Amino acid sequence: MTTREASIDGRSVTPAPGESILAAARRVGIEIPTLCHRDGLSEAAGCRICLVEIEGDARLRAACHAALEPGRTVRTDTPRLRALRAELLALERASHPADVLGPPGERNELTRLLARCAPAPDAPAPAAPRPFVADASHPLLRFDGARCILCRRCVRACDEIQGQGVYAIVDRGGEARLAIGAADRFDSSDCTACGACVDDCPTGALFDVDRERPLPADATTVRTTCGYCGVGCQLEVTRAVQDGRPRVLQIAGAREADVNRGHLCAKGRFAHGWQAAPDRLTTPLVRRDGALVPTSWDEALAHVARRLDAIHRQHGADALGCLASSRSTNEASYLLQKLFRVRFGTNHVDCCARVCHAPTALAFALQTGVSAATASFDDVERARMVTLVGANPTEAHPVFGARLRQAVLRGAQLLVIDPRRTELCALAALHLAPRPGTNVALFHALAKQLLAAGAVDAAYVAERTEGFEAFAQELARHDAATLAAHCGVAETEIAAAAALLAGAAPPLFVHGLGLTEQTQGTEAVLALGHLALLLGAIGRPGAGMLPLRGQNNVQGAADMGCAPDRLPGYAALDDGEAGARMLRAWGAPPLPEPGLTLPEMLEAAEGGRLRALWIQGEDPMQSDPDEAHVARALEALDFLVVQELFLTETARRAEVVLPAAGFLEQDGTFTNAERRVQRVRPAVAAPGEARADWRVVADAARALGLDWRYAGPADVFDEIARVAPAQFGGLSHRRLDAAGADGIQWPCPAPDHPGTPMLHTERFARGRGRFFVIPFTPGPEHAVEGYPYALITGRVLHHYNVGTMTRRTPQHALAPEDRLEIHPADAAREGIADGGVVSLESRWGATRVRARVTGRVREGALFLSFHHPETHANRVTGRHRDPRANCPDYKETAVRIRPA
Amino acid sequence: MKEPPRQSSSGATGLGARAPAAPRGEPVPGAAHARGVRSFYRDLGASPGEARVCIGTACALAHARGEKAPLPAAAARREVHCLGHCDRGPAALTADGSLVLPPGRAARPSLRAMTREPIVLARLLAGDHAELARARAAGVYGALASAVAAPDPAAAVLSEIERSGERGRGGAGFPTGAKWRACAEAARGRGVAPIVIANGDEGDPGSFIDRILLEEDPHAVLEGLALCALAVGAREAIVFVRSEYPRARARVEAALAQAREAGLLGDTKPGRLLPLDVRVVSGHGSYVCGEETALLRAIEGERGEASPRPPYPTAHGLHGRPTVVQNVETLVNAPFIVARGAAAYRAHGTAASPGTKVICLSGDFARPGAVEIELGTSLGAVVDEAGSADGLRMIAVGGPMGSLVTPDAFDVALCEEPLRARGIALGHGGLVAIRADADLRSFLLRSLVFFADESCGRCMPCSLGSRRLLAQAQAGLAPGADRDAFGRLLDTIAQTSLCAFGERVPVPLRELLALAGDDLLAAKPAP
Repeated sequence: MTTREASIDGRSVTPAPGESILAAARRVGIEIPTLCHRDGLSEAAGCRICLVEIEGDARLRAACHAALEPGRTVRTDTPRLRALRAELLALERASHPADVLGPPGERNELTRLLARCAPAPDAPAPAAPRPFVADASHPLLRFDGARCILCRRCVRACDEIQGQGVYAIVDRGGEARLAIGAADRFDSSDCTACGACVDDCPTGALFDVDRERPLPADATTVRTTCGYCGVGCQLEVTRAVQDGRPRVLQIAGAREADVNRGHLCAKGRFAHGWQAAPDRLTTPLVRRDGALVPTSWDEALAHVARRLDAIHRQHGADALGCLASSRSTNEASYLLQKLFRVRFGTNHVDCCARVCHAPTALAFALQTGVSAATASFDDVERARMVTLVGANPTEAHPVFGARLRQAVLRGAQLLVIDPRRTELCALAALHLAPRPGTNVALFHALAKQLLAAGAVDAAYVAERTEGFEAFAQELARHDAATLAAHCGVAETEIAAAAALLAGAAPPLFVHGLGLTEQTQGTEAVLALGHLALLLGAIGRPGAGMLPLRGQNNVQGAADMGCAPDRLPGYAALDDGEAGARMLRAWGAPPLPEPGLTLPEMLEAAEGGRLRALWIQGEDPMQSDPDEAHVARALEALDFLVVQELFLTETARRAEVVLPAAGFLEQDGTFTNAERRVQRVRPAVAAPGEARADWRVVADAARALGLDWRYAGPADVFDEIARVAPAQFGGLSHRRLDAAGADGIQWPCPAPDHPGTPMLHTERFARGRGRFFVIPFTPGPEHAVEGYPYALITGRVLHHYNVGTMTRRTPQHALAPEDRLEIHPADAAREGIADGGVVSLESRWGATRVRARVTGRVREGALFLSFHHPETHANRVTGRHRDPRANCPDYKETAVRIRPA
Repeated sequence: MKEPPRQSSSGATGLGARAPAAPRGEPVPGAAHARGVRSFYRDLGASPGEARVCIGTACALAHARGEKAPLPAAAARREVHCLGHCDRGPAALTADGSLVLPPGRAARPSLRAMTREPIVLARLLAGDHAELARARAAGVYGALASAVAAPDPAAAVLSEIERSGERGRGGAGFPTGAKWRACAEAARGRGVAPIVIANGDEGDPGSFIDRILLEEDPHAVLEGLALCALAVGAREAIVFVRSEYPRARARVEAALAQAREAGLLGDTKPGRLLPLDVRVVSGHGSYVCGEETALLRAIEGERGEASPRPPYPTAHGLHGRPTVVQNVETLVNAPFIVARGAAAYRAHGTAASPGTKVICLSGDFARPGAVEIELGTSLGAVVDEAGSADGLRMIAVGGPMGSLVTPDAFDVALCEEPLRARGIALGHGGLVAIRADADLRSFLLRSLVFFADESCGRCMPCSLGSRRLLAQAQAGLAPGADRDAFGRLLDTIAQTSLCAFGERVPVPLRELLALAGDDLLAAKPAP
C-alpha cells in the first residue's frame, strides 16, 4: 500500500479527494449495504446500515458519509458488522406490519437487505403501533406510510433535485414520520408530480399509478428522447406486450444523461396515456361524400399524390405549401421540406417555430450569425447571475426549471422579467413586471443604465462587437423616465436590475415566448442581446443566450430548413455552395424566391391563392391566433392533408388524414434547445396502421413519381449530414448511438469533432456581434379604447400546448380546464369571483372561461392557457405579427371582461 | 468601466464538465418543513398556560418520597426532564416562568469550594454578581480589557488558552484551545466570518452549574465569550439558553444591555471595548440540542437533529460559517486563564486535566448544592464533603449519558485518564446520590422514557431502538432470550447511533442491569 492508497477489505484503492468509503468501495467492486444513501443526493447517514470499521478508529463510521483517507484500512464485512446489521435490520423489520415486507418485491431494498443480512425472525414481528398515514388523493402519486423507513431519500430528492419542499419529517424520535405538504395529502401540497421521490424510495412507500403493480417478466427498457418540451430529457421507457398490444408501462429518467441526470417532469414521466388512447387514429381516412372514411395506405397516398399533382399542374407551384412538425423527427421535417421544394418547386415551407421562436432565430442570426442558443443547459450551474425573461420554466420546461431553481438555491442571482409573478420569482433577487409589449423599452432602459454606470465590458464591446456607436446614439435619444413610465416599472427598480446585471460575472440570459410572441418580438430579442453584448456575456462560460425552445424539435425543424427563406443548415436560398450541395443530394437546385410563412400561407389560403396544404402533426385550429380566420383559411383550401395522432379540429377539416406515430413510436433524432441532437427510438409499435412521419413522406414522394429510396431514418440523416455539413457533417445515428445518453451538440462538422457546447467563444460566427438601432414602438394592441386589459396566453405545468396528448392522460385531472388568471384588484373592479365564468372579448372575437383570481398576474394583465379546445383562447387573439419574423402576437391582446 | 469578467463560479472552463454540482443538503422551506420544525420542539406544541413539572432524576426520587412542587391543583401541566433545580427539588415552572419549589427550600443553591482558590465560583461564593457594577468590582471584564490592549490580542489569547490545557466542561472534554484555533484557521482559510456560541443548553438531569452562572454571573459568561470571539476573530456571538431556564435568559439579556450601555460589548459600534454583536437565542424544549450540531440547527430554525461529523462546526457551523460552540462553564474559565496566565491555571488540577470543575450534587446527599473541586479529587472525597445518607446504593454520575458508580469505585479520581480507564463518564459533572431503597425499576423506566422522548429521530437505531426498549420494558420481559435481546439492543444502539446521545444513553442502562439484575425487566419487580 503506498501512502496515497487505502485498503478496503484487503483491496487496495487510491481514494479521490473527499471520496466516501462507500463510493471508493464500489469502485473496487465492494458493495456496502445501505438504505438511506442515494447517488446524487446529500447524505443522511441515518440508517447506519453502511457502518464500517476503520483500523485505529474506535468508532464505527458510516461509509456513505466518511471520507476514505489515504493510509486507512477499512473493513466492511466483519462478524461484528454483520451482527450489528442484522440487529438493525431486525429492528426496522419489527416496526412494520409483516405484510408490507411480504415476499421480496423487486423495488423493496429493505426486503432484499433483510434476506441478505438478517436472519429470519423466530416469530412474526408484531405490527408496531406507529402513526402510519396513507395518501391516495392524487391522480398519479401514492403514499403508504406502513412501508416508510424514514430514510429521507424522498425529502432530499424533493429538496435537492426538484426544489419543491413537499416533504419533511414531523415529530421526533420513534414517533417521527414523513409529512406531505400541509395536510399529508399530495393533492393539496406543492407537489408537481415530478416523481423523483418515487424513483428514490427504497421500499415502495412512495409509488405512482405506473408503479402499483410489479412489472411482467418480459418487460424491457429502451432509451429515447422525451417528446414534450425543448429540454430533451432522456427517457428509459419500459414496455411489454399486454392483451396482445405493446404498452408503455413505466417511464423513468436516464441517470447518466447530461440534460436531465435522471430527473423528469410529470409530463415526461406520466403523460404517455395518449399512446394507447382508444381514439388514436389507426387507419388512413379519406373524405367521401363529406365524411372521413377509413381506407388503405395505398389508396390514401395515391389520393394525396393525385390531388397535389392536379393542383400543382392547374395552379402552379405557388398554390401548394406545407407545415412540418416541430413535434416530429428531424428526418420527417427534412423530407417534407425536400418534397415540396423538389417535387413542387415551392418554398412555401414552414413549421411552428414561426409561431414561437422565429424572432429568436432571426435575431440571433442577425446579431451573432447562428440561429440557436449560444450557451448550454450546463451553463446554468456555472452562472453567477441568471436573467429570466418571459419564460416560466418550472411549468413549461420543468427539468430545466428545476436545475435553475437549484442553481439559485445555491447562490446564483436571479433577475426575473415577466408581467406574471411566476414560481421562480419567489427566489429571485428582483422581479420586474413590465406591462406586456414593452420589452424593447425596458431593455433600452437597462442598457442606458449600464452605460451610465460604466458597467460595460469595454474591451469586449471594442474587440468583439460592431454598431455600438449608433446604438449608443439611439439610446441617448430616449429619456429614462419616459421608458420606465412606458414599461410601468419604477426607475429605481430598473437601476436595481442594472446593478444586478453588472455584478461580478456576465449573466446567462434565458428567454421564452414572452419575449418573442409580440409585434416587436425580433427587436426585443435583439435588444436583450444588446445587454449580453454590453456585458460581454456571449461566448463565456456560465453566460450567454439560452432561449428555451418550446417544442421538442422546434430547433431541429428549423435546422432542417423548414422555413420559407432558409435551406437545411440555415443556408440562404441564394447560397451557391449550399445550392450545389442540394443539387447533388436532391437532383434539383433550390429556388431563389422565398416562400410564404405559416401566417402568410393561411392568409393566402383564405384569399384563394394557396390551394393545397400538407400539415404534419400540428393543430393550427387550436394553436394559431384568430381562430375564425384559421377556420376560413382551412375551409377555403382545395386540399388539406394532415398527419396526426388524433382527429384534431384541424384534422376534421382535412380531405385526407394520415395516422401518425408518436414520439414513443418513432425512430430518428430530435434537437433540443441547446443544439443537442439526440436519438429517438421506438419503444412500442404504433397502433394499427399508423406510420412514422418520415416514412409517410417518403411513400408519398414515390407515389408522386420521385425515386426516393431510404432504408430508414439513419439513411435520411446521412443525407442531412451531407446537405448541411457545417452543422451535422460529423453526425450519424451510429455516432449518436455510441455517444450514449448525451447526444452531440451541433456544430459538429467532422466525425472526430466533439460537438460545440458554446458558440462564439473566440469570434462571432458572423465576425462581430452586432448592435442595432431599434426604435421602440408601442404594439397595435396597446391602449385600445374600450379594451383596457392586456391578455397573455401561455401554458401550465400539466399540459402540453394544445393538449392533444396530455388531455388523454391521468394528469388531465390535475388541470381539467383552462382558467383566466386575473389580479384581485381587477377582479374586484369587474365584479368577478374566483371560479366565476367570465366573458372575455377582444376586437377579434370572444369566449367564456372560468376565472382564477390570483396575484400571479400584474394589475391590468390577464393570463389564459390554451390547452383545451373548448376554451377557444385563440378566438380572442388577433392577427398582429412581428413584421420581421412573422410571429403572431400572443402576448398582448387588448381585451375587455365582464362576469358572464 | 468595470474589470474584465472573471471565470465563472466553478472555475469550470472545461465545457461539458459533466459532474452535477454537489447536493445542497439544505431543506427547502415548504408547508411540511414548517410542520416538521414545529413538531420537533416540545414547547412549540404546548398549550399556553401550561406549567412544567420536573421529572429529572433527583426530582423523580423526591416525588417517590411523596414530595411535590406546590402548583395550584387546577394548573395545566406537562412533564419535562430537568429544570436545573435538582438540589432543591422537586421543582416546577409556571407558564410565566416563576419557579415553584416545596416550602422551606433555600432561594439559592448551596455553593462551596474544595479548591485552593475558586475559579468558576470565585464571585458566586460571595453572592449574586449579575449587576455590572458588582461584577466589575469583582474584576469581570478586566481580562478582556488587558487582552484587547495587548499587541496581538487574538494570538495572545489563543496561545494562553492553548497552553492552559483547559478542556471543555460540557462532557466531551475536547481541548478548548484546539477548538478555537481550528475555528480561527478555518475562518482565515475560507475568508468567512466566524461566529462563537455559548452553549447554555444544560439538559443533563443533575447538572445546574450553567444555570447558576447564567443567572448570577452572566458578565463572566459574556467576558469568556468575548475572549473566545477575540481569539477566533469573530464579531458576532450568540448565547443559547434552554427554555427551561427563563430566569437565566432574562438575566443574560439584562447583563447584555448593561454591557452595551457601558460601551463594553454587545454591538459593533465604534469605541466598544470589543466590537461584538451578541444576541440571546432560546431553546424550545429538546435535550439533543445540547449537542453542538443539533444546537446549530436549532439556531438556524431547523429541527434540532444531530448531524454526522466531520465537518465539525469549527469548519462548517452556523449557516456554514466557522463556529465555536462552547459550554458556559468552560467559557467562565477563560477570563481567569487570560488574566492570571496558563501557568496559574495549570497549578490547579492535574497535568492532563488542569483546572477545576464544579460538581453538582443532588438526590440523597446530606448537603446538596454545587461544589468546585480541583480536577483529580477523588469521587469519595466529594461524596464525603456532600455527606451521603446511610445506605447509599450508587451515584448517577454525569446525567443520562454518564455512568452509575457504586461505592467500591469511589476511589476514582475525577479527571480525564482515571475516569476513562474505569469507563466512567463525568459528563457535565452532576452527581445524583441514589439510596439502597430506591425503586430501580422506576429509575430504569424513567430513563427509557427520557431516551424515547428526547431521541431526535435522525438515525434509525436510536429512534426506533429507544422506542422499542421502552415498550418492552413497560410490558415486561421473561427471563432468558428476550432479556438477552434487550441487552443486545442496548449494545447495538450504543455502537451504531449517529451522535453521542444514542451512543451514551444506553451505557448507564446496561450498567444498571448489570448492577441490579435483569429482573428489573420483569413486569413487576421480582419478590
